[in-house]
Amino acid sequence: MNTNLWWKLLLIAAVLVLFTLAVIPGVLFQEPIRRGLDLKGGTHLVMRVNVGDAVRLEADQAMEQFKSQSTKNSLPMPTTRRINDSTFLAIPPAGVTAGAYDRLVADYKNQYDVSTTPEGAIQFRIKPVSVSTIERDTVSHVVETIRNRIDALGVTEPLIAPESNNRVVIQLPGVDDPARVKDIIKTTAQLQFRLVEGTSGTDPQSTLNTVPANMKNDVDILPGNRENELGQAVGTEFYAVRKVVPVTGTDLKNARVQKGRLNEPVIGFSMTTDGARKFGDLTGNNVGKQLAIVLDNKIQSAPRINSRIDDQGVIEGRFTQQQAADLALVLRSGSLPASLTTLEERTVGPSLGRDSIRQGVLASLIGFIGLIAAVLVYYRGAGINAVLALLLNLVIILGMMAYFKATLTLPGIAGIILTLGMAVDSNVLVFERIREELREGKTVTASIQQGFSRAFGTIIDTHMTTIISALFLFQFGTGPIKGFAVTLLIGLFASVFTAFFVSRVIFDMVYKPSDRPKEISI
Amino acid sequence: MQLFVNTNYNFIKWRFAAIAFSIVWVLIGLAFYARRGVNWGIDFAGGANVVLRFRDAVPLDRLRADLADASIQQYGKAEDRAVLIRLPMQKREGDYAGLTVARLNRDLNPESATGKVDLNFRGRDQITDLLYTADPDRKGTIDAAKQYYSTIAQNVINKRSELGIFRSIDQATSAPGVTAGMAGVLRDKSFVGSFNVLNQETVGPQVGKELQGKAVWAVILSTLAMGAYLWLRFDVMFGGAAVVCIIHDICVSLAFLGIINGEASLNIVAALLLIVGFSINDTVVMYDRVRENRRKTKTRMPFEDQLNHAMNQTLSRTILTSGSVVIVLIALLLFGGKVIHEFAWILLIGVLAGTYSTITIVPAVAIAWNNVTGRKRDIAGPGSRARVEETPRSEAPTPRKRKAV
Repeated sequence: MNTNLWWKLLLIAAVLVLFTLAVIPGVLFQEPIRRGLDLKGGTHLVMRVNVGDAVRLEADQAMEQFKSQSTKNSLPMPTTRRINDSTFLAIPPAGVTAGAYDRLVADYKNQYDVSTTPEGAIQFRIKPVSVSTIERDTVSHVVETIRNRIDALGVTEPLIAPESNNRVVIQLPGVDDPARVKDIIKTTAQLQFRLVEGTSGTDPQSTLNTVPANMKNDVDILPGNRENELGQAVGTEFYAVRKVVPVTGTDLKNARVQKGRLNEPVIGFSMTTDGARKFGDLTGNNVGKQLAIVLDNKIQSAPRINSRIDDQGVIEGRFTQQQAADLALVLRSGSLPASLTTLEERTVGPSLGRDSIRQGVLASLIGFIGLIAAVLVYYRGAGINAVLALLLNLVIILGMMAYFKATLTLPGIAGIILTLGMAVDSNVLVFERIREELREGKTVTASIQQGFSRAFGTIIDTHMTTIISALFLFQFGTGPIKGFAVTLLIGLFASVFTAFFVSRVIFDMVYKPSDRPKEISI
Repeated sequence: MQLFVNTNYNFIKWRFAAIAFSIVWVLIGLAFYARRGVNWGIDFAGGANVVLRFRDAVPLDRLRADLADASIQQYGKAEDRAVLIRLPMQKREGDYAGLTVARLNRDLNPESATGKVDLNFRGRDQITDLLYTADPDRKGTIDAAKQYYSTIAQNVINKRSELGIFRSIDQATSAPGVTAGMAGVLRDKSFVGSFNVLNQETVGPQVGKELQGKAVWAVILSTLAMGAYLWLRFDVMFGGAAVVCIIHDICVSLAFLGIINGEASLNIVAALLLIVGFSINDTVVMYDRVRENRRKTKTRMPFEDQLNHAMNQTLSRTILTSGSVVIVLIALLLFGGKVIHEFAWILLIGVLAGTYSTITIVPAVAIAWNNVTGRKRDIAGPGSRARVEETPRSEAPTPRKRKAV
């Protein structure tokens, strides 16, 4: 054998070793082939971040700020009204012109387009640039918060990524209780501490009637649970709470499940230094009043303030152990700045994933055996060559997947066996060509040489067309189909190598040109 | 073993019959679509799919009463006791599959209201929490204890996956590692609910519409890309013929989908995209040979004969290249399971259509192209365009150096 051939053999051996090592679990990789959601079980979610919430919040805050600044600057307080998410009106009281507020309005002109309506009201509209900044910040904040929550759940290898159109894609392999995880992700967890005015009642109107007249515009009516003496829920109770939110969930340092008086689960929280100061002021100045603990616009409880509290507190509610634990988790990981809407969900339970693997592997094995049988019958000696190339091809595909950390999906399994089928195509092209050359009366060596070189262009073309469509497939697909495209691409590259290079080396070894072989089994 | 050696079929003669056959086939498919409409899967139509496996007989009446607007059908074999529930598209976005599952859980598993953990419905974390809170093995409240119980909980879930569904609590307590203490806790505080969720999917109206658009564009653009590549590698005629050939293969496959009333899903689009790239392969092989012959032969030969000759030369390859993939596809079709069944069908039909169109549609297009562009029959050999009529048209190819084809 000449040196050239030795080098080629060495290369093949190196490839074989390198990829075999990658495939054996525990040698190079603990889990060489990562299974996709459809095989492992898990959840794929696409959520829309309702960025309008955050924009609205911004407008609301500016609106409140404008009112309080008017009072501070001894101007008459305008009435305000929000028109849409990003626009609000400040209507000066009768007899006052919009011009009186000019000095205040100037401060808003950076962020707002300000104009005066024909009716003499000042219209504030958040500038489009600012809107898109708010939207972008909101989405990245949402991604960050969801990541915190997922990490706290201990999901391994999650994927949480922002997408265009204010969307977030979340992939959670191995999650087997999607309902709970979705709850945890979607809970806005906006915790607020707000003072209660008037007395609570069974319907919103009667509650509002108990609020002093000058406060009526400054309260929101929010629902909570009504309980009887035994602590059982017996309906909805409505509370009037002040619009001003002095302390929020962002002031929390920690939250965890504790046992309440009746051994029921409650959530104990502690405040940050800053939060403790605010909380101390709030409770210290309002001893005797009720303080509502509002979670996502629902009153959890409204205890009476007995004394000043600084940095510790307890949220009571009607929680089960699991609910309390989940709530503590979302409070710890921070609130979402906007609500989420599910656009797409694909969840595969662990048992379906298991069935899929079993069937996919079985079908592939049978297909593989069928392929081997077919080439051996049709090409005899040369068939062995094709089979060797095929086995190496399989090792390379699996090894490449391990190195690239590619994910194996059910269509991906189909993709592997399909590329093996296509790899045989390449062998067919070469072998048929060799047969043809032989029929023309050429020598074995010349036929092999001609067969390979003539088939080369065709093989490249057939691979290129499939590679092009695999690229479109990759671009088009999500999840399982992307996995399919990846295995196809890897397999196609591997098959050029095996069908062309490896198979040639094997021929050259068996039918050494120096021996001047007279016959070839093909 | 060798098949198709020294064949001399006159493929060209059959081309009009073949075109007629393809048209009839596609018309049949269209008729099926016209009668039943397109069976859009939730990927494109939007909506929700839920697949449940039941512990006992499927409570069909109960499900139908509960979910009035859903279609409910058996999933897999009857003894699997599994159903596929399909909810039509809703106008608004929302977690419809999740809500449906939650509702069924409330209605079919009254025990869940008692706070017991449903071993057929819940996941590892809840079982871990249950065991960790009760702590029958006195591991304390350290992280190692959570780890310990979590491993056992995973074993329980694995056992469930293996069995498909727990039919009794004893099956759950027989999972590896479950101690007597834990079994006690499980008996006390958990139950085996009436169903297990195999799969749940929701596709909102917006995503469905987007996927539809993306799918159509992906197929169109990949077809054009293929035409462009072959135009660059070969010539404009072959690029055009390839595009026609791909459109043919896709139409034939889609017609078949209509005939079997298959569901238009993402997997089907994946199959179509693969057909675009793969079905053209044997055409490339054949046309490659036409080109090679043109370079080698000096004699002018009518274009029809060139094509016919090349097709006969490459016939065994044309059939074998598809053959090996067909072997694999049949295996996938028979043993691959429900999820990829239709995917395998469409690929199989597409690949067969690709082979068929190579020896029928492509020559038809090439000949038509040749006639239209006025090059008539002879384009073999350099500078030969002037004397078109010199070589008499013959049934059998007459290359100068007659090879053992």
